[in-house]
Amino acid sequence: MRLKLVLELLDVPGQLLDALNPIGRLGANIVAVIHQRDVKTERGTIPVQITIEGDKDTLNEVLNLIEETGIGIMEVDGILRKEKITTIMLGNIIDQDLKDTVNQLNKIDGVMVADLDLKMSDHPEKSASRIVIEAEQGRRKEVLTKIKDIGNLKGFLVINEV
Amino acid sequence: MKVCIVGFGSVGQGVARVMEMKKDELQKEYGLDLELVAALDRSGAAINPEGLDIKQLLVTKKLTGKVSEYPEYGEEGVSGLEVLMDKVEYHCLIEVTPTNIEDGEPALSHILKAMKDGKDVVTSNKGPLALKFKEIAQAARDNGVQFKYEASVGGAMPIINFAHENLSASKIESIYGILNGTTNYILSRMVKEGSSYEQTLNEAQAMGIAETDPTQDVEGEDAACKVVILANSILKMDVTYDDVEVTGISQITPESIALAKKEGYLIKLIGEVSPESLEVSPRLVKEGSPFAVEGTLNVATLKTDLADDVTVVGKGAGSIETASAILSDLISIWKTK
Repeated sequence: MRLKLVLELLDVPGQLLDALNPIGRLGANIVAVIHQRDVKTERGTIPVQITIEGDKDTLNEVLNLIEETGIGIMEVDGILRKEKITTIMLGNIIDQDLKDTVNQLNKIDGVMVADLDLKMSDHPEKSASRIVIEAEQGRRKEVLTKIKDIGNLKGFLVINEV
Repeated sequence: MKVCIVGFGSVGQGVARVMEMKKDELQKEYGLDLELVAALDRSGAAINPEGLDIKQLLVTKKLTGKVSEYPEYGEEGVSGLEVLMDKVEYHCLIEVTPTNIEDGEPALSHILKAMKDGKDVVTSNKGPLALKFKEIAQAARDNGVQFKYEASVGGAMPIINFAHENLSASKIESIYGILNGTTNYILSRMVKEGSSYEQTLNEAQAMGIAETDPTQDVEGEDAACKVVILANSILKMDVTYDDVEVTGISQITPESIALAKKEGYLIKLIGEVSPESLEVSPRLVKEGSPFAVEGTLNVATLKTDLADDVTVVGKGAGSIETASAILSDLISIWKTK
């Protein structure tokens, strides 16, 4: 069977090789590799599309091994493994310890802050921040509720996606 | 069919106007002869059991501001309840007094009184529906009368009858929508002009889109009433105004709108109706999505089990637009007679 993967690589030399190595080693075939360095994700990583062929067990082993080497798998056969959640928080972002806000978000299981954009206002209590979060697929609702709780605790107005 | 219009403000006058505009068509299409036998406002009433002259009534209201100045048949100082009690014979009450979300009065008493007397009721009034939905629906059943309120949510945007009739095969699992035109206008303008909330509100007030006291709109109270009506009527829940978590738009800043836009989002005041959550709050919607409507438009997406997502859009306010929904309710009542 064939599997289409989208891997997430750091923009440093040798990353692609590290990702491809386990595939050949375990006896799976590489059918195609599409690697465009100018397309980047939110976090500056490079999505690489790889199609591999082999029996089911081998392919599963390949997936595990790739993840063990610390390379993120974004998509398997068109199904996203992670989803992007955008949220806006309004309030006194800086006074309420921005680092702590990010830490608290990162502490939610399977969640990582991928991007953060700040816009300061003349009135510090009216500052706005846009936070992009990557979360494991299927946990959107739970993550949105937690974001809201964190925001409420700090007196922010949280504007979540519909 | 003899009707009474209680409340002769923008919506009440709109109803009278469309009754006059569509007179011939109603007669021809449905054999429906709508006769306005009483109209009431704060000043009193105009009552004629043989039918009022609508043109004359509208002119009188325009010139004097009072229906009680209607020649010969005007009566100063009478209340809605007095008229409904024994002053005139009618078939259907059109309750369009201003919305009161404290206790729903005087509309609640008008509606219950009419039902008790075996009259059908059509209303656009959100107060009684948001506070006493169950009680009113029960009164309608007990007295074997029809109760229609399409105009109470989304003005001319079809949603309540649409869900009950056209989507009757599907279970409606949740509804998300922009249910208030004033806030949608303000937020749309803030995106376009980069202006502050206060400036934009002032502009909306100058244009007559926002009221002098905009609280009901901008603090989300109006949308919350509609959330309650949809929850009770379409999702068959048993909830009231206090069950809704409400956040308005007055804290929204140009900075937050700019940040949202950078990522392809717009900020909209969204009403959420689902068994897990009743909420009105500013939310992010994707540019180009069904929720990205501008101006005073309303929109709602109904998530269903069989039909998947169904989205309706329409004018959420306006005298004639709202009256159109009321007239449709009158026609559907007539069809069952």
